[in-house]
Amino acid sequence: MDKNKITQSLDTSGKCCPMPIVDTNKAIKSLHIGEILEIIATDPGTRSDIPSWCERTGNELLSFREENNIFNYQVRKLKSS
Amino acid sequence: MKSMAIVVRDDSYDKLLTPFAFAYLQASEGCQVDMLFVNWAVLALTEKGAKEIRIQGDHADQDQWVREQVTKAGLPNDINALIKALKATGNVNFYACSLASQIFGVDKSNLIPEAEGIIGASWFLNEKANNADHCQYF
Repeated sequence: MDKNKITQSLDTSGKCCPMPIVDTNKAIKSLHIGEILEIIATDPGTRSDIPSWCERTGNELLSFREENNIFNYQVRKLKSS
Repeated sequence: MKSMAIVVRDDSYDKLLTPFAFAYLQASEGCQVDMLFVNWAVLALTEKGAKEIRIQGDHADQDQWVREQVTKAGLPNDINALIKALKATGNVNFYACSLASQIFGVDKSNLIPEAEGIIGASWFLNEKANNADHCQYF
């Protein structure tokens, strides 16, 4: 089994603060520990919010990339929520 | 942050957005948020009052435009619907200040069910604000 396979993808495109974080908090709850949540966002605020959210909630930011003002985050769930 | 207390005094639509957005952010993360509505803002805790909330002052003519932007951002653009969304997190308590309630005509008969009740400011300041990790005033 590919341990880096995305378990769930959350597209918050078009949405702005507070919704990307609100939706991320909801989505992470449905994952099991070790699974990966992909977050797609267009809100530039997520560039600071998602990494700090990961640090605060004890989840791991596996990757971040930006392309044409679309932000893509992959987060591994490490703590139960 | 485990708990946050917010005091809201202004009932202009745009000025309510920030405390609600901050409360939504923290509540979605499991933080306990207690919100006290004082002065005119207490009317947001009634169905009729929430419906009548508009942007006031210099930006009054931009009410509709702001609501459209709020919808685009993914939030309910109606105050009562926003309160319901926050309540659904299970982590937000809404309190009506007793003084504001008396002045502006809020009582048990028109207080929305999402509100915990009408309380004294002393209780909120000592039991909620004083014990919260963080307090904000709007």
